[in-house]
Amino acid sequence: MVNKKSIRGKAAVIGIGVSPLGRVPGRSPLWLAADATRNALADAGIDKMQIDGVMSGHSFASPFHRFNVALSEYIGIQPTFSNTYQVSGATAATLFNIAAAAIDTGLAETILISMGDSLLSGLTPDMALRSMTESRDQQYEMPFGIPVSNTFAMTAARHMKNYGTTSEQLAEVAVIHREHAMNTPGAQMTKPLSVDDVLSSKVVTTPYHKYDCSLVSDGGASFIVTSAERAQDLGIEKPIYILGGGECYTHEHIFKKEDITTTGAKRSSELAYARAGVTADDIDTAGVYDCFTGTVIMMLEDLGFCPKGEGGPFVSDRQITYGGKVPINTHGGLLSHCHPGIPGSLLHFYEVILQLRGQAGDRQVQGAELGLVHSLGAGFATNATTILGTESTL
Amino acid sequence: MSMISQEEALKKPLPTPDGDSVELWEGLKDGKLLLQKCADCGDIQYYRQEMCCNCLSDNVQSFEASGKGTIHSFSVVHRAPGPAFKADTPYAVLLVELEEGPRMISSLVGSDPNTIEMDMKVELVTEKLTDDISLPRFKLAE
Ligand SMILES: [Zn+2]
Repeated sequence: MVNKKSIRGKAAVIGIGVSPLGRVPGRSPLWLAADATRNALADAGIDKMQIDGVMSGHSFASPFHRFNVALSEYIGIQPTFSNTYQVSGATAATLFNIAAAAIDTGLAETILISMGDSLLSGLTPDMALRSMTESRDQQYEMPFGIPVSNTFAMTAARHMKNYGTTSEQLAEVAVIHREHAMNTPGAQMTKPLSVDDVLSSKVVTTPYHKYDCSLVSDGGASFIVTSAERAQDLGIEKPIYILGGGECYTHEHIFKKEDITTTGAKRSSELAYARAGVTADDIDTAGVYDCFTGTVIMMLEDLGFCPKGEGGPFVSDRQITYGGKVPINTHGGLLSHCHPGIPGSLLHFYEVILQLRGQAGDRQVQGAELGLVHSLGAGFATNATTILGTESTL
Repeated sequence: MSMISQEEALKKPLPTPDGDSVELWEGLKDGKLLLQKCADCGDIQYYRQEMCCNCLSDNVQSFEASGKGTIHSFSVVHRAPGPAFKADTPYAVLLVELEEGPRMISSLVGSDPNTIEMDMKVELVTEKLTDDISLPRFKLAE
């Protein structure tokens, strides 16, 4: 059921910023988030004192239980609407959905969305991995040595069995993401990558090789979201409107999910499309959470870009890059651009917004007016979709 | 979340039973995997919880699983999640579908993990780790 009350076009992104990304030693998660925030404020052309809401997410390398409050103190503001949201990798899209609703209902007028983490430089690799298993259930999962990657891997393995998806098709996802990263200044991985390179890289957890898995990085990203009216008053040149969002939480434990090859992304995106009044066919470019190659294939299906079971051939036909049905992750994604943990999906937003503004330079998808970002986490336990558009889509 | 010390990271995590699960872990000490059936709606559930997850009734009754199931999915871990599991690699984490219906996460014992396939039949084996904890693992069925 879709509530008739809608956030469509009520709020707009007016400022975007990132910190240095990739390997950023000697910088705390708070600095990364704050640096991204300075850049987002400058991009919007507003002063920090105009922010009255702060929304953030969890940082593994930061000891703060309330990252939002710590960040507000760090940048010297006292918001009257604020929270740290924790739905793992899905957090990014939930922040945009909730920000739009909070602005529409008057809880806040101008919201800073910001996250930062330093998984690469702030934690040892073993500690980072251990942090990932700590998110699995201590009684029914952790004792068996199950990293979160393993949960995703089991869904991919079953997808291969049910639909004939191949390791080569998974590898194609990594190859296309690398091509995109090679076009993106500052991307962490910029050497050419072939299907053979992926298949001959070390196995992490079957069916995933090293290059089927996302990177480990440092970085922060920030966004300024305000009401459509305020965006007008400020004379923002190209506000990017939040048109609709949806979420779906299907399980905590993967063993409680009946069909492990179809995810909550199906429901979250159906809600987002209905609320935005658009369909998958209308989307010009998308940010699709790419923690693993198989994740992308399943998402292409569940987000409605291709029929169930056809994600593999869809990728092999190069439908996810320039000239294809829907160019996704044109920055290179978590697989080849940057993956600082939970903030990673904010970088999908950053790229889609650049595309919609027409500021993506050599990477520009011509005529991009309508974009989608899908964030997910915790072995598909959490799913959130946001649809964004230019003024022409209102 | 607080930081984990290096010393803690080397220890394998052991389950800490809670108010819902204490009987499950007691049963496993005797080699029994306990499931629950709701006397009101007939739903069979795992993991153990002191309430039917379908109709929220208190009227859930324990019974012993046959221990038979199939591999609904699996992934063979080559890169361990932390130092504690490094010596075990490669090992197969299993998503087992029990013949009673529910699924569970477990891991394979007794066979080369590289030889297993989807939908193979498996059987329960309990493995004693401490006086308080035995883990439910699975081997390929005879
Ligand atoms: Zn019941």
